Parts: sequence; C-alpha cells; structure tokens
Amino acid sequence: MTGGPRTDGRPARGIAGRLWLGLGAAASASLLLLFLLPIAALLTYAPPSRLLAAAMSAPVQQSIALTLYAAALAVLASALLAVPLGYLLARHRFRGRGVVESIVTLPVVVPHLLVGLGLFFLLAVPSTPLHAAAAALGIPIYDSIAGVVLVMVVVSAPYTVVASQLAFQAVDGRVVEAARSLGAGPATAFLTVTLPIAGRGIVAGLLLTWARAVSEIGGLLILAAYVFPGGLYSGPVANPISVYVYELFQNGNLADAAAVSSVFLLIAFAIFLGVRLAERTARLPWRSGELLP
Amino acid sequence: MSDWRADGIEVAVGGFRLGPLDLALEAGRAVAVVGPSGAGKTTLLRALAGFLPIERGRLWRDGVDLTRAPPEARGLGYVPQGLGLFPHRTVFHNVRYPLEIAGTPDPDPAAEALLDRFRLRPLADRRPAALSGGEQQRVALARALAADPELIVWDEPGQALDVEARHDLGGVLADLRAVDRVPIVVVTHDPALAFSVADEFVVLDRGRLLLRADAASLLRHPPTAFVARFAGYENVLDRPAVDRAGDGPFARWLRGRAGPEGVAFRALPVPAPEAPRGAWDGVVRAARPDPDGIRLEIAADDLMLAARLPRAWSAPLPAAGSRVRFDVPSDGVRPLDGAAAP
Repeated sequence: MTGGPRTDGRPARGIAGRLWLGLGAAASASLLLLFLLPIAALLTYAPPSRLLAAAMSAPVQQSIALTLYAAALAVLASALLAVPLGYLLARHRFRGRGVVESIVTLPVVVPHLLVGLGLFFLLAVPSTPLHAAAAALGIPIYDSIAGVVLVMVVVSAPYTVVASQLAFQAVDGRVVEAARSLGAGPATAFLTVTLPIAGRGIVAGLLLTWARAVSEIGGLLILAAYVFPGGLYSGPVANPISVYVYELFQNGNLADAAAVSSVFLLIAFAIFLGVRLAERTARLPWRSGELLP
Repeated sequence: MSDWRADGIEVAVGGFRLGPLDLALEAGRAVAVVGPSGAGKTTLLRALAGFLPIERGRLWRDGVDLTRAPPEARGLGYVPQGLGLFPHRTVFHNVRYPLEIAGTPDPDPAAEALLDRFRLRPLADRRPAALSGGEQQRVALARALAADPELIVWDEPGQALDVEARHDLGGVLADLRAVDRVPIVVVTHDPALAFSVADEFVVLDRGRLLLRADAASLLRHPPTAFVARFAGYENVLDRPAVDRAGDGPFARWLRGRAGPEGVAFRALPVPAPEAPRGAWDGVVRAARPDPDGIRLEIAADDLMLAARLPRAWSAPLPAAGSRVRFDVPSDGVRPLDGAAAP
C-alpha cells in the first residue's frame, strides 16, 4: 500500500496499533490452542481400535447411559425449579432479592467436592432427620440415582437460573401488556408471548446445565461414586462416567482412560451440536409462538 | 360503540399521584392527552388499560363498572409506546393473535381482511423487526382492531416516524374514527398529529388536569406556556422571562398584558424594512426562510421575538443588525392565566 485512499472501510493503523493487534492475536491464539490441544491429545492417545472396543464394552455403555440419564433428569429438574426462579428474579422486586441472587451463585463458587460433602452430611449420614425422611419415603441417597441427580442439580441448575433470568429480563414488558390488552389472561400471555420470546435463552441455559451436569465429578466422588439399582434407576451397578474414567486413570490404565473419555466426548459433542442445530433450524413452538390451536 | 366515563379517578405510582380526573368519551370521538414530560400521560393510559390500579374513582363503559376489571376484560385496545408487536410472530400471526385468543372458529379470513385493509398483505410473512416504522404502526393498529375493541388507547403514535409515514398515520386514525367509530385516546407530543385527529384535548400538568377543551378554545386561550407552545404560538414568554425583560417601553407594554403565567402571541407581522411602520422598534438578529415564508428573530428591549416578513417577500433577506418597526395585533396577545378558560 503506497498512498491512495484505503477503500476497505477500516481505519488506517500505525506501527503501535499493529503491535497491539499482533499481541492480542498471539494471546487469543495461545488460549484457543490451550482449549483445543488437550482434546486433540486425548482423542489421539489411544488407537481407533481401542476406542471401538471401549464403545462396545458393556460397563462403558452402562456408565455412559447412567450419566446421560441422570443429566437428563437434572435438566428436567432445572426446567421445573430453576426457570421459575429465573422468572421471579427477572420480573419481581422484593426484599432479599440480592441475597437470593448470591445464594444462586453459591454452588458455582464453592468447590464441588465440598458440595458433595455438604449433601453427604445433610442427607446420607444416618443420624440426620432428612436422611430419616428420605429413608421413610424409600428414596436412598448415598450411591443411588437420587444422589447423582442431586449433585448434578446443585452444581448445574444455577446456569439455568441465570440464563432464564436474563432471557425473561430481555422480554419487553410492553409486549406482554399488549397481549393482555388483546384479550390474553396472565397465563395465556405467559405461554404465548413471554415464554416463546425467552425460550431461546432458556434452552441455552438448559444446555449449559446439561453440559455441566455430565462433566461433574467432585460431588459424585463423595455422594454417589457407584450407583446401585433403586428409585428411578433399574440398570446394573455402574459409575458415573467421570468416576469410571478417574478410576481407570488411578489404576494406571491410561489407554483405556483415554479411549473411554474419547467415546464419551464424541457422544456429548454430538448431543450438544444436535440440540443446537435442532434449536436453530426446526420450527419449534417456542420460536413462532404458535402454541395455540 | 360504547361510551366511556371516568369519574374522579386517582392513580398512584411510586411517589407520583395522578388525578382526580374526569373524562368522557363518546363513540367516534378522539381525545388527545398532552402535557409536559412527567405530567402523567402514560400513567393515565396504563390505568385506563388496567395495568395500574385505580385507587379512587370509577371507570365506566356503558354503565358497566370496569374500575377493577383485568386488562383482558376491558375491551380496550392498548397500543403501548414502542407498539408492543410480538417479535416472535409474523405480521399475519400478530394480527391473528387476538382472534386466536378469543377462540374465533376460523380466524384466517378476518385476519386477512385486516391485512388487506392496512396494505399489509405483501408483508404477511415478515417479522416485525423487518418492517419500517410506518409498517409497524399499521400492524399494531390492525392487530388492535382484530380484538374488536370498544376503545383504542395509543401511547405516542407517530413516534420515530418519517414525514411520509406520519402523514399516512393521520389518515389511518381519521379512518378509524369515521369508519370503525371506535373512540380513541392518544398521548402525543406532536401538535400536528393531535390537531389533525383530536376533537378534545386533555392537558395534564404534574398529575393534575389542567384543561379539557376543544381545539378552537385551546388555540384561543392557552392557559400555560406549555399549552401555548403546543398550540403553535411562536412567542411564548413565561412569567420569569416577562419579569426579566427590562424596563424598555415594549417590555413595559407587554408586562401590562401578561397573565400570572406569562404571555403568548403569534409571530409578529413585520412590514417590509424599506417601508417601516409600526409602534415598536426592533433589531434583526437572524432571518431564515421556512415553509411559511421568512422567519425573523428580532430583539426588542431585552426580548427575543419571532416575526415574519410578508409571504410575498422576494428581495434579499434583511441583514442582521438592520432595524425594523412592528406592531403587535392587540387582540392576538394571550395572557397565560394558568387556569382553564371558561
């Protein structure tokens, strides 16, 4: 470039500007590599035949199935519990709102091992009233599906609370008022206007909750490293996948640890991308708001 | 169509109080609610629509008490500021919405008829975000009419519209009154729109009803500086401005004609500068052509006044600093007395 007006619409950049730009690009590239290289290392450590063998092994399949099932229950529980809380925080001013918001972020900042310990002392120690109550109801907590789901909900539901709070806050109240004035009662206006508009943000939050739930290990090591059949689980005794991989690694079985991790990683990726794609392309009711007959 | 009446309604929002306020609305009539920012215009509309509780007084529609009725049971089409279009629905499904809610057995023909009436058919499959401001206004109105309202209450129609769309809107609102006979209440800052649709003006000031008047008496007897400016008076001097005006002969003369809130008069007709006549002296500060002729700013004593040269003026604009003489048509000077005209 020698003289003449620049025509690409970007401002001209001096030497200092280029230096900063270069530093920024180098920093960004380093971080992105730090994200990608471990995954590449994991996926390439074991030979493909080992991956295939891991994918075909019954204990691995049981462990993955257990994990996906428990995470699905955790997402369901978040949809039922965390979305209403998000709505409350988005739409209502009340005393103690700041305190509630702090409580919501608590599980994110507390080490998850401690979350597991807390749940253990609350529910799994035989002397506590809540343990007695759960036992009376026939719901085992320790080393059970309920324990897995509880840990997952505690550590992952905050993402749905925050995402749905933001999603509901972004819904223009005047749009909802217009719906009311056009004849919709409060519940109809919520179902046909508020929820469809906030739907995308809520789904994004649930997806984060799901991703966080399947990757949980700290709390599970304490409360439910093994899951015995009972309650909502009728499969064979199995570990959550993170615990399963951890035990392989602890036993020095590096190739199997890598192979099992890779299989789970690929499945989780496929589910994640599938949901994103479906959400983006499908004519889902929350996108058009055509929930009415 | 229905007759609406508000008897002494009072509304409280935070520290702000509106009312007590009386209103009466007959079929086919349009009321413009005007007033400075913070006067309570939007508060009034939201209370009528049922989004703010009416603390005292009663709201009636044809003798039915609606004071405590929820918004969806008032039969009132509320168009909020920003229109409140559904961003997730197409134009067609926006207009169809009230029919779906009402459980209309076959909602499509009615929705399509409204699309045709408001020239929206080619836009039926678009989302509101892909429409121009004028198109969005037409969708809002078509959707409001789909609910078959007994009253349309519109906060700031014409906001952020270009000149063409604004012109369009006047026609649409006039149509609404004449064809549908739906009474309309609009809140507006736009005098041109207000004077083109309103039979009656309700002027609010700091939560109180300042004036209910038809256009003619609003134009003849503006009670406050705000109303005078809204009514298009080019020269509006509030009380502090009148008091500050110094002790020159013109200032003294004007002070003698001012009311407690000041004084207002139209742009002063200034004869051609080469044939000066008139009782008062002034100095030209600026001269500028505008759609109504040539507008002058002249200084007389310590006052800056708006004035006009004859429409037929074709010579060069008078230079700043040149002297002019002028008269003030004495029947055109309006004292601002702060209270409603009789």
